[in-house]
Amino acid sequence: MGNSKRYDDRKVKRYIDNLFTDIGESQQLFDLKEELTTNMKEKITDYKSRGMEEDQAFKEAVVSMGDLSGLVDDMRKVGQDKAKQSVYAAMSNRISTAGIVVGSLLILFGILTTAMLFFMDLPSESVVGSAVFVVPGGALITYSGLTRETQKKYGMNKIRAGLYAISVALLLFAAFVGAISGFATNEVFIAVSSSMLFLLVGVGLFLALIFTGSDRRKK
Amino acid sequence: MSGTISTDLIRGNTVSIILNILRQGDSYGYEIYKTIIELSNNQYELKEATLYTAFRRLEKEGYILSYWGDETQGGRRKYYRITREGEKRYEQNREEWMFAKEILDKLIKGEIKDGE
Repeated sequence: MGNSKRYDDRKVKRYIDNLFTDIGESQQLFDLKEELTTNMKEKITDYKSRGMEEDQAFKEAVVSMGDLSGLVDDMRKVGQDKAKQSVYAAMSNRISTAGIVVGSLLILFGILTTAMLFFMDLPSESVVGSAVFVVPGGALITYSGLTRETQKKYGMNKIRAGLYAISVALLLFAAFVGAISGFATNEVFIAVSSSMLFLLVGVGLFLALIFTGSDRRKK
Repeated sequence: MSGTISTDLIRGNTVSIILNILRQGDSYGYEIYKTIIELSNNQYELKEATLYTAFRRLEKEGYILSYWGDETQGGRRKYYRITREGEKRYEQNREEWMFAKEILDKLIKGEIKDGE
């Protein structure tokens, strides 16, 4: 079952890719392909659960798609029209730029205040306290960086990028909690134990995301 | 699927059909496709190609908007939601249809009884 599912997935992917060969790449095409692929896979699963054979299910799914030439033409136009593409990407890229700027400022603010407090000879736990700004800063930069369309990659979808941001925030927060409780008590075991939960959840989420992602590379 | 209804007849109403489904809740391509089959009691299948073309146009015109679901298995779905503009458009289309249906019924079936 698991094997035949992978076989189907490959077949669907090849079919969709073939529909749109020699068409200029664009974020819209990337999104449309993903939409078509997901829906087609779901349809094949439905057909198979009604007892249809694998090949038959695939054929039926292709037939019920109908004539896609209109969409193909539409995508060809988008691919040729660089201006249209940049309009589509501009808005999300502007938001992402703002996110990177704000995120960097937050991190810088955290580092600078920490440095300032350090040279004021305050107790080390209060010195580390202001480093907490690094946590939202890091999360913001992660989110903004991933949702951005670049030369090499398409933007990631927002929810997924959000999850990445959360995992980065958890990891940074684990380091922060570890440092602050370690300095406050001067006990390494307390530092480790208090950061452990955040660290584990953060790493778990991060790994789960890495192993489930779809390919965003441009050809 | 008997498919006896002429495509010409239904084509002009694709938009109303999609908006009617979306005004009852957000949905995604394949689900909308299934809903249309179900609503027609298995007598009409709107090809997905037509559906996706309509989605693009409706989104461009601001009648619907789209967002990605957060499915973890089997790929993400693109969902569609009707906007206020879309709801207004639906109401308008519906009224026009009711009006047209009445007149067409008279024109296609009607006879003038006292034909002098």
